[in-house]
Amino acid sequence: MEIKKLLFVTKFEDLCYDALNSLLSLRKAALDHVVFLNVIERDNVTMKRGQGYLKEEEVKLKETANIRFIDWAENLFEMGLEVGAYIEVSSLIPEILKVVERESPDLIVIGHSHKGALKQLYAGSDVAELIRRTMVPILVFKHMMEDKIVPEKLFERPLFATNWSESGKKTIEYIKAMKNVIGEIHIMHVVKESALKSPDTHEVQKVRKAERKRLDDLCDELEEAGINARPHVYVGDPQREIEKAAKEYQASMVILGSSDKAAILERWVGSVSKNIAEKSIFPCLLIPGENRRY
Amino acid sequence: MNKKVLVVDDDPDVRSFVVTVLEENDYIPIVAHDGIEGLEMIEQEHPDLVILDVLMPRGSGIRLYRHLKTDEALKNLPVIMFTGIALRSFLKSQKALDEFKGGQIPMPDIYLEKPVEPEELVQAIQKKIG
Repeated sequence: MEIKKLLFVTKFEDLCYDALNSLLSLRKAALDHVVFLNVIERDNVTMKRGQGYLKEEEVKLKETANIRFIDWAENLFEMGLEVGAYIEVSSLIPEILKVVERESPDLIVIGHSHKGALKQLYAGSDVAELIRRTMVPILVFKHMMEDKIVPEKLFERPLFATNWSESGKKTIEYIKAMKNVIGEIHIMHVVKESALKSPDTHEVQKVRKAERKRLDDLCDELEEAGINARPHVYVGDPQREIEKAAKEYQASMVILGSSDKAAILERWVGSVSKNIAEKSIFPCLLIPGENRRY
Repeated sequence: MNKKVLVVDDDPDVRSFVVTVLEENDYIPIVAHDGIEGLEMIEQEHPDLVILDVLMPRGSGIRLYRHLKTDEALKNLPVIMFTGIALRSFLKSQKALDEFKGGQIPMPDIYLEKPVEPEELVQAIQKKIG
């Protein structure tokens, strides 16, 4: 469960060296290999009416990416890290999957895509597509502020939102492997309002007490592994409450197990993980469960 | 007998350039696309010289160079580094790895920063293997 190798997928406008730099604290865990991937979308270079294949444009875009990667790679090589790079004319998600197959990374880092609402409705977002098609954990990077400065200490104060699913168990193992980089983790569970619908106050309080007990046990487990952990119970809509908790505790990122829902259902109904990954202002680390369906 | 030169580079344009230069100067070129394939080719083909890129997928030239120089059977195999990565960064990376992993790796005799003219490349090859 250690993060030894990460795949850093960049279009440059969404993820730059500052984002990469904030991930280098993972060296204290196990990180020793970074692979860069830049995908030049075919639309940018393929046939245009009256112009044919834009070879010059392809060379220009590839060399521009190459210059950036060389600069980044030099910094990482100097730290003793192993670095690899891919620059491909292709489609983003199939190319990511191809590189995942070749390189077997432990984490994929991707910026949030900026497709329009209509395009997302029909084609889905890149992030949602990737969540559906890979078993590798994904860090969806966001710029938390308008001036696009990324948090320097990404793993300093994560918020882990658990729904007690199978993917949650895998996430806990993943968190334990990051004990050397996590400052303090906040762990929350959101109780749905429907679970509190009872005329008996005592019954409602029992629900809260039971959830808190589970969270306490989980915090104890993490503290035994050497990670400071604090439990929180919230009530309401999971997406809204997770965002609220992340703000209240100034989380550096949100960690979620990703949904086990069937892909088609997820596309139209949406899952909490997918929606937070797309809409939250916080960077999101999504850990897939073992029994995903495609 | 013509000498065999292994070109390890992920860029098809660079491979094509080096292979052409080698053929025109009566060397036998063989190619590998990354560091892992490069090592396999070295073990299978026993080249007389390796022309090695640094920044590549599936195993960088830095790691392959290090592997070659610490392997008793391969440490005398001549290597020309041929890369866009600056020599300064290469040297620092080796220093960082020396400190982290122990041992001291000899620096490459010839380090060429891309791009180079064909004559410069031929001169470097001749200097190493005649």
